Amino acid sequence: MNKHIIELNGINVRKTKELLLDNINLSVSPNEFVGIIGPNGAGKTTLLNVVAGFERFEGALSLFGHRESWRRSRETRLRIGYVPQLFQIDPAFPILASEAVMTGAIGRLGLFRSPGRQEREKTMQLMELMRVAHLADRPLGQLSGGERQKVSLARAILQQPDILLMDEPTANLDIAVQKEVLNLINEIHKRENLTILFVTHDFNMLPAAMRRTVLLNHGKKVFDGDIDTALSGETLSKLFQYPLETFERNGRRFVSYD
Amino acid sequence: MTEHFIDVLTYPPIQRAAIACVLCGASCSLLSVFIVLMKMPLIGVSMSHAAFAGAVLGMLLDINPLVTGFILCLLVAGVLGPLSDRTDIAPENILGIMFSFLMGLAFLGMGILTRTKASALNLMWGSLLSLSGSDIMVLTCVTSILVLFVLLFFKEIRSVLFNRRLAGASGVPERMVYYALLFLTGAVVSSNLATVGGLLIFALLVQPGATALQLTYNLKYFFIISAASGIGACISGLIVSYIFDLPSGASVVLMATAIFAAAYIFSPKRRMTKLKKRSMSHEHGTR
Repeated sequence: MNKHIIELNGINVRKTKELLLDNINLSVSPNEFVGIIGPNGAGKTTLLNVVAGFERFEGALSLFGHRESWRRSRETRLRIGYVPQLFQIDPAFPILASEAVMTGAIGRLGLFRSPGRQEREKTMQLMELMRVAHLADRPLGQLSGGERQKVSLARAILQQPDILLMDEPTANLDIAVQKEVLNLINEIHKRENLTILFVTHDFNMLPAAMRRTVLLNHGKKVFDGDIDTALSGETLSKLFQYPLETFERNGRRFVSYD
Repeated sequence: MTEHFIDVLTYPPIQRAAIACVLCGASCSLLSVFIVLMKMPLIGVSMSHAAFAGAVLGMLLDINPLVTGFILCLLVAGVLGPLSDRTDIAPENILGIMFSFLMGLAFLGMGILTRTKASALNLMWGSLLSLSGSDIMVLTCVTSILVLFVLLFFKEIRSVLFNRRLAGASGVPERMVYYALLFLTGAVVSSNLATVGGLLIFALLVQPGATALQLTYNLKYFFIISAASGIGACISGLIVSYIFDLPSGASVVLMATAIFAAAYIFSPKRRMTKLKKRSMSHEHGTR
């Protein structure tokens, strides 16, 4: 039996003549936390979109041991959660924070079944875990960016996925809020036994639980391995084509530049 | 005066107009919730022009204009769905192209149509007072299907309105909801050609939803307020048109605008946001 939960073999994604992903091979085991890192235009989000089923591709993709095309069955979709980058929402939009979290349960409930007590209780539990329970009755559009991202995390977990895809979930947030969200992501990974793919371009804001890193550049995989090896000045300078240095503090590596 | 009104209400054309007001107001305003919250007002414009162009073509070909209007609406819905799912063209551009193409088609038909231009013009702004029994029947069926759709799929609808992509990613049949919505828009618009017409209907596809947006954060109330303001605009428009002997379609649209303006001025949501901003700037000022 295949021990990988995600397996990509020779994945290409084309937009007109340009290759957004070029022959990507990647295997991810259950409960692994993999960072997908690279400069702008490297193909990070495209890779995440291939796994999420948002993007057409060439090559072979297997999820949970089954070959998949870009069209997914409901059952497969239910097993993959998605946390997008902070997105704009009209402050007047008619949805409360708790209702936004509850939308995570709709797919699993199926047609003609309304959310019941169980879903409401689970919603509140997850909002408490994310420290946003006090905002349950507030309109979503009136929450701060960090609060909205916590709601987004709670929403994704309520779906009860096996794989969680995160597309720069801490982008455009204040530093303190980024740190708080990252700690919550670590907590979720430990608690829910999730396999996580985490896209980012910020080396200094990485979740502690992320031990493996895939570096992408111009649609190609240029590195796949341990995070400490990835965070070397030489590797990163080559990737970003800019002189970068790394240093260690409190057992963690950080990147600095002039 | 009251006796006169009660007297007037016994006339079948007035009764039909009153029923049509409720049905037209309800169907258009329920749709306007989707159009406003999904920020796709151009869908309403494209559909209303498709219905209008189809009806003109029907007149040219001597076929029932409502049938050809409906067919063209469904065709446009069938093309719009897959096209707007493509990521290489912005949906606004697709709708813009479709809208102008349909308008060109309608006016081309109008140019060729020499015999019955007046009745073609009627399709532009409708005529509540000259509706037939079958017009009412079609409108009743379409409105019932739309109400049923909203009631049965409310939770899926909320999910899609919130974020279509997230809904799809989490196993909600977002395509089903979106395509059903497109087809229902076509059905509502073409069945309302006779009531408010293919051009003026656009106002009823946007203003009731925009009115509700000023007043509530609750999606259930949003649908109810939108429907109430749409029905209110239609009925008050009909009364105004009767009293002042004005075109009914235009009166309905003007009443819808007046209701929106009142909701905007007295919007509790807007006041709350203003207060919040003021208290924030006060806090910053005292620091």
